[in-house]
Amino acid sequence: MATAATHAAHTRSRLKFNRLGLWLFLVTEVFMFGGFLVMRFHLWGMTRPDLDQILGLVVTSILLISSFFMNRAELAIAHNDRRNFLWSLLITGVLGLLFLVGVVVLEWGLVPVRLPWEQEIPHHLRPTDGVYGAVLFGMTGMHALHVLSGVAFIFVVWAKGRRGEFSSQAYWGVEFTAIYWHFVDVVWVFFYPALYLIGTVAH
Amino acid sequence: MTFVILAVLTALEFWVSQVTGGAAVFLLIIAFAKAGLIVEYFMHLSHLWGEEAH
Repeated sequence: MATAATHAAHTRSRLKFNRLGLWLFLVTEVFMFGGFLVMRFHLWGMTRPDLDQILGLVVTSILLISSFFMNRAELAIAHNDRRNFLWSLLITGVLGLLFLVGVVVLEWGLVPVRLPWEQEIPHHLRPTDGVYGAVLFGMTGMHALHVLSGVAFIFVVWAKGRRGEFSSQAYWGVEFTAIYWHFVDVVWVFFYPALYLIGTVAH
Repeated sequence: MTFVILAVLTALEFWVSQVTGGAAVFLLIIAFAKAGLIVEYFMHLSHLWGEEAH
């Protein structure tokens, strides 16, 4: 009995340190992404490039909806609802991939595509297009890298979840992935207005 | 409920940017409100020292 109580106390203690470690890591990330924001306001001031407003709103909405499903997945596993957990996680991962397509393929213009609301194939900024190109690609590139790693975490957790490795009593891996994913969303909460909304279009 | 508020705030910031011509103050206030909601309700910051066995 004493051994079981000791084991439970050890597990709780380890969980606290796991969480603290994750949050300390996120604090270091805040410094990095904060640096990007400072760079943006220093170099662009109250101007911004002429980016596709509809596309910006669409990718932002996709990431927001993915956060909803991530939260749903975490709640589901906390209640041992394995089916809901797996479906919600899968939807989150797919939405994350869609976000990447929106930013990397469409916003960067890797593939020349005319979106339904556009008259013609738009001109896309290049990383070499002065401060506007450099800042845009620096910020969206670093964020996309985090989205990509988040999607990788999601699919690893999904695969482990399919094998029944999580339960309402033990789901730190899910909690870690959820917090990381929501953090990626928080970063975009600031990047979206900084890149698409704040200031007037520079000509 | 948190998701609905976040969706409304996202629509609001889009509208504000169109109406005000991209006024940073209003847009940053909305951004901080959205971030606060996500950190508290999705990331459970206040439960950092909780003892739930995950």
